[in-house]
Amino acid sequence: MRLRSRSFLRGTTVALALTLGATISLAGQAQAPAKPATAKAAPASAAAGKAYKAPRTPDGQPDLQGFWTNSTYVPLERPNGVTKEIYTPDEAEAAIKAAALREAEQTEPGTTADVHYDFSQFGLDRSQSTFAKNLRTSLIVDPPDGKIPPVTAEGQKRAQERAAARKAAGGQYDAVENMPIGSRCIIMGGAGPPLQNAGYNANYQIVQGAGYVMILTEMIHDVRIIPVDGRPQPPSQVRQWVGLSRGRWEGETLVVETTNFNGKNAFRGASENLKVTERFTRTADDTISYRFTVEDPATWARPWTAEAPMAKTDGPIFEFACHESNYGIANILAGARADEKKAAEQKKGSN
Amino acid sequence: MRMKLAIAVAVVAVLLGVTQVRAHHAFAAEFDVNKPLNLKGTLIKWEMVNPHSWFHIGVKDKDGKVHTWMVEGGSPNQLIRMGVTKNTVPVGTELVVEGYQAKDGTEKAVGRNFVLADGKRLFLGGSAGGPTDPVKVK
Repeated sequence: MRLRSRSFLRGTTVALALTLGATISLAGQAQAPAKPATAKAAPASAAAGKAYKAPRTPDGQPDLQGFWTNSTYVPLERPNGVTKEIYTPDEAEAAIKAAALREAEQTEPGTTADVHYDFSQFGLDRSQSTFAKNLRTSLIVDPPDGKIPPVTAEGQKRAQERAAARKAAGGQYDAVENMPIGSRCIIMGGAGPPLQNAGYNANYQIVQGAGYVMILTEMIHDVRIIPVDGRPQPPSQVRQWVGLSRGRWEGETLVVETTNFNGKNAFRGASENLKVTERFTRTADDTISYRFTVEDPATWARPWTAEAPMAKTDGPIFEFACHESNYGIANILAGARADEKKAAEQKKGSN
Repeated sequence: MRMKLAIAVAVVAVLLGVTQVRAHHAFAAEFDVNKPLNLKGTLIKWEMVNPHSWFHIGVKDKDGKVHTWMVEGGSPNQLIRMGVTKNTVPVGTELVVEGYQAKDGTEKAVGRNFVLADGKRLFLGGSAGGPTDPVKVK
């Protein structure tokens, strides 16, 4: 194995710094709030949105259609040691640079972490493509400390029970049924709702028709078809991987409420009774303000809210042929069997 | 790169019962950290499949017999957005692959780095736009 040379890394650093310097300063000018915001104040992008009116679809809905990414360097929770809610443009630029350089670090040959392909080589480091920027220090805007509220005793108990059930089922590579749902291509872990930054390929397509909004997620091609015609939520026994969503327009904002999750793709350990309320507001031709609130008294001490910017990006959404010509699962299970055989031989040899 | 971070995130995610992870499958379960390899051969086929490409590479052994190795790489969709196509890396391109062999000992590997015959890393260039803008290979 060959590590990226030091001179190459230095060159990379300079190029990255120049590139990010150019882009974040523009973003800072565009999105800097007029005054420091508080947790309850309208976010900078929403404030800017008051002056902006989205184009309309033929049936008069605000037009959210197109290709969007929620790739961002803003962390969900505010980093320890950071006390402010909004960075200055210079601070935001420095935070992005630091995070981008951490992503570009080489791993050590001969370590488990090195058994992978190079993200940068395939254009998958976030700074190599469009990513959404703002000046926030965390996506979480409420609670005001930018942290997920404490997990309730019931939520902790559920996490333990889920872990125990997984353990009782055996090793995760003992059988295909034990493998993570993302590896089985059922759904991307954490696909939501709410929409979460997948880390790479964090791309979405929104299509609107009369009475419906469709959101297609690139990672494992999850689709939500959201009625916006006022119909009620189905009865509680009807449950789906991505829950059931119902939408409505509040002025310029698409509000989507989702319940009826099946609990098998729990958002951050939530119960199946999780309620997610999402608010999509187009605040510029190239920006959607995406805000979500999660409520699950069985899991968190209080509801919490985050705002994750979405930036316009290039389409189309590419097919996610998740099973990779059927190589993926077969190779992983073959690897597990090879490990077992080796372990058995070693045990035999030591006896 | 960022694999340290990816592993750390995955470990933390598991500890917290968080379901969001970066990769959709675990490479260390499939490929052997103790079997690093360096393959030199000719591209036979590139399966541009999301989320992981498969490069089929013909590698001659010491007797001149050609073995077809399958090498796993990254998601092609961002490359496509950057203008990379199958014609960018045509069949017949000479490649050196640095990676790790499959645990089961078959002729499969994960391609840590793909290097062209002239020593340049595939899809990596020097123009502005990010840490490592891709370049088209003529």
